[in-house]
Amino acid sequence: MLNLLVLTILFSTPLILAAMGGYTSERGGVINIGLEGMMLMAACVGALAAAHYGPVGQMIAGVVAATVLSFVHWLATQVYHIDHVISGMAINAVAAGGTNFLYLKLSDPAHGSGLPHLPISVFCVAGIVVPFLLWFYSRQTRGGLRLMAVGSDPDKARLMGIQPIRVRLFGLLATGILTGIAGVELVAYTGVFTDNMTSGRGYIALAALILGGWRPLPTFMACVVFGFFSALRLQLQGTPLFGAQLPSQLWAALPYLVTIIALAGLLGRNRTPAGLGKP
Amino acid sequence: MIWRLIALIVGACAILAGAVLVAHASPIESLQTLIHGSLGTPSAIAGTLKETTPLLICGLAVFIALRAGLFNIGVEGQLLAGACCCAIVATRFHGILGMVLGVLVGMLAGALWALPAGLIKAYRNGHEVITTIMLNNVAALFAAALVSGPIKDPKQADTATPYVDASSRLPWIYSNPPVQINFALVIGILLAVGMAIWLKKTVAGYELQAVGANRIAARFAGISPQKVTVVAMSISGALGGLAGAIQVLAYEGRFYDGFSPGYGFDALGVALLAGNSAYAVLPSSFLFGVLSKGGTALQIDGIPKGITTVVLGMLILIAAAIRYRKVSKDA
Amino acid sequence: MSFAVRLLGITKRFGTVTALDRVDLEVEQGAIHALVGENGAGKTTLMRVLYGAIAADEGSMEVEGNTVRFGTSREAIEAGVGMVSQHYGIIPELTCLQNLILGAEGGLVLKNKVAEERAQSLAARMGFTFDWHAEASTLSPAGAQKLEILKLLWRNARIMILDEPTAMLSPADAAALFESLHRLANEGATIILVTHRLPEVLDHCSRVTVLRGGRRIDEKLVVDTNGNELATLIVGEAIVEPDRSQPFEPGTTLLQITGLVVKGDHGEQALKEVNLTLRSGEVLGIAGVDGSGQRELFEAIAGLVQTQHGSMQMLGSDCLSWDAAERIRNGLRLIPEDRHAQGVVEDWSLDENAALGLQRLAPFANKGRVDGKARFEMAEQIADRFKTKRGGLKLPMSSLSGGNQQRFVAARALCLNAKLILAFQPARGLDIKGTQQVYDGIREACRNGSAALVVSFDLDELLEQCDRVVAMNNGKLLEPRAQDSLDRDAIGRLMVGAQ
Repeated sequence: MLNLLVLTILFSTPLILAAMGGYTSERGGVINIGLEGMMLMAACVGALAAAHYGPVGQMIAGVVAATVLSFVHWLATQVYHIDHVISGMAINAVAAGGTNFLYLKLSDPAHGSGLPHLPISVFCVAGIVVPFLLWFYSRQTRGGLRLMAVGSDPDKARLMGIQPIRVRLFGLLATGILTGIAGVELVAYTGVFTDNMTSGRGYIALAALILGGWRPLPTFMACVVFGFFSALRLQLQGTPLFGAQLPSQLWAALPYLVTIIALAGLLGRNRTPAGLGKP
Repeated sequence: MIWRLIALIVGACAILAGAVLVAHASPIESLQTLIHGSLGTPSAIAGTLKETTPLLICGLAVFIALRAGLFNIGVEGQLLAGACCCAIVATRFHGILGMVLGVLVGMLAGALWALPAGLIKAYRNGHEVITTIMLNNVAALFAAALVSGPIKDPKQADTATPYVDASSRLPWIYSNPPVQINFALVIGILLAVGMAIWLKKTVAGYELQAVGANRIAARFAGISPQKVTVVAMSISGALGGLAGAIQVLAYEGRFYDGFSPGYGFDALGVALLAGNSAYAVLPSSFLFGVLSKGGTALQIDGIPKGITTVVLGMLILIAAAIRYRKVSKDA
Repeated sequence: MSFAVRLLGITKRFGTVTALDRVDLEVEQGAIHALVGENGAGKTTLMRVLYGAIAADEGSMEVEGNTVRFGTSREAIEAGVGMVSQHYGIIPELTCLQNLILGAEGGLVLKNKVAEERAQSLAARMGFTFDWHAEASTLSPAGAQKLEILKLLWRNARIMILDEPTAMLSPADAAALFESLHRLANEGATIILVTHRLPEVLDHCSRVTVLRGGRRIDEKLVVDTNGNELATLIVGEAIVEPDRSQPFEPGTTLLQITGLVVKGDHGEQALKEVNLTLRSGEVLGIAGVDGSGQRELFEAIAGLVQTQHGSMQMLGSDCLSWDAAERIRNGLRLIPEDRHAQGVVEDWSLDENAALGLQRLAPFANKGRVDGKARFEMAEQIADRFKTKRGGLKLPMSSLSGGNQQRFVAARALCLNAKLILAFQPARGLDIKGTQQVYDGIREACRNGSAALVVSFDLDELLEQCDRVVAMNNGKLLEPRAQDSLDRDAIGRLMVGAQ
């Protein structure tokens, strides 16, 4: 039982951090399917840096790497006016290929696994604190209010003297930082970088964000539920359920299926920010 | 605007050259390796064409959805659904029947896998990108579950279905091993030509493109954007499923875990690069085939294959930026 | 007498068009001052100058005795000027309180308690009640309007511009709004009311300024004037006497609408029990200021919106069950209001655009196939009909100027067995000659047995070109008495709601 709790926390933390990164981007109106790529890049660069600069260096390098990609997304969508989805796709491609390239070329085989890293508990605490901070930010600060306004209707926000492009820059920088931490956690936990090690967590974070209606605390809850199911899956592997042996993949598919049902409007009303994807 | 575009292209080239230099290789030599590995020998060309086939058909799937203003990121999942269902059916029959049934079932599976995305977009205004991403993941997981359980071939060690009977496989149009070219390529080329003609010469094609080009004007012209959205998504899904079925019947002979190396994703680049002509999907998919096959040659040369994916990402960005430039100039 | 606002000699040009021509406006402190005029008279432009949203080319402005020059709206707000635009600036996903303070939060961290207290006291002063933490999407149009007024108070506006504030309000809500405006005026605020509804002016304002064609026509004390006089001032004297040399012979009924009700975007009744009969041979004009329900009527006839009640017969058959394509197949042709968004696909060629809306009809289509040759020939005919200035037919529509696109769209609607022509501002952006050509085309079709329904905001254009003109006001369709069917004053009174 305790084991299940620990596993749940472990599995949900990267989801939470990435989903919160998605929040600061999408709540400001920037569609971000590049969460996956940003996490992956942070994991890779973090792993490379850890060998030379220790745990703090790992964190800084990972965060910077993800933030650079996030900045590229801002540049592409807000300055070059490239479709948000295309830009996100491109970022995922660059990250998938780039990490494969960088890691094979630059990693030091002598180090193997067991890189120095910050204690995992630090990440878990961040995973619990950040959603509440963002909740506070969105309700109690000027920046949070303006982020929501820009995500809902950039034109009306402009009418009230707010510059959407600036608000979104700050939102995307926060996305970079949060997805960076999420990526670093993955590599800190496993101790080694492997190709495509995020394995869809960025997309699950996106799914949690949708299920949470683009609100920090419900999104947090959705991540925890997803993490719980991953933990359960690991615990139940091999044990028959309701007399039948369910393949573990069906558990894994659950978050995605629930998200599709939510998008079909079968789980309450659609809370998509109205300005999502608008210039 | 033009200087911005130049900045983008220069930036992209600098990153690539920098990456190659980091890898302690000469950019020129790398390019040579890439071209030699994909086009240098008859067998390399045959390998490139083999890579091109699924990219071509998937590219057409993405392309037709784009013409209707839809972003079908789900071709990967539709391909898996098509391939998996095709393998299930085709392994149970022999001869031409297995082939035809396999293709039909594959297309149907792909279309059905795309249908929820089309319906949710048309009637719930849920972004098709999100739904198709989710459906991709579900497809991958379901296929993995099936192939490791119910449809697994007990005689093989791999998690794979049994092989399709040779009599049900798509024929080679040229076979002199290792140089082999499959009939599948002809199907792909015919599809591209057929699609170009369909879009240009039929009222249905006209209406589909009207919705993609200006949804509101299409509505005033008596076209239902909802219906077109559902139909376009289904056609796109059927093509994705067809690509999967052909992959089974032409090259792989069975369905296995990890079936697609991401053809559905690369196809997005193929379609974006092709712009607005179905014929342009032909050279565009060939270019991606070259990159894919050449990437393997680079790998042998000590340059990780990932670099070709980076090139792909940058190509997507630059193509999108150029397209925006065109639009903003028109406006 | 102290003036809160003095605008002197304000001139604003957009390219070659003079939107405002040496306009003066003096508004007394504490008054409710009406600014009236037709669409395009320059009311909103003048107010946007005062609000700092656009800069005047000439003229001077004084606010509360100080000469000012606003570069941005922010400066205007600081000087105490606030504006509620026609399309509310409320963001539905934010709460009422968040909407209230957005852009004027007063600090990095929000003091929601303090803000709510101040909001509450402002609301109490106006006699409003709000659930501050409810989402603004739950607000009725009247609630949104009230919140907009509070937004002005929140920003300490002493001069308040309200642009068509009652456009979306029910009569009861409008009455409540004016009650609060009187209260504000009594407390010393100055209110400029931009409106086209004369009863509002007569009942609630002290002075009224009339604009027409970018010029100030007159300014009156409300007690010295009446609805008829204002209506005449607003629409002016007829420049051209309508040509009635060709009296029309009404034939069979092509369109019959009875008791039609359509809901608008905000759930209000956009069409209220509209009755309309259109007979073959007839060109029927629909006059009215923008937003009186013409758009909804157009879309209802085209089959693009859901109708609530009522019946509609097209060419003798019940057509409410027909979709838009079916109506087109039966001979309905559209000249939509916004050619750019609704009429053409800009990055398609002229040739391809020629079939848009007619794509399923012969000769454009033949058993589901596009007949390229026929389409090209038709495209040539369409382009030649009103002498659309163009390069090749294979060039994109975007290569044409707006006026030439309009010629193309109008000619397309007339090119193929048009039975019922539905036109929204068919001469939009055209010069006098082009306007005449388009209307001649419509009349010619009608002489050959079709019928046309033309919506325009230009009453003179309708009187000159149509056989009969009716007016729309606030979702109602109002027919003048038979002998007044082309009477300028009678229709002018109907369209502004004067009796």
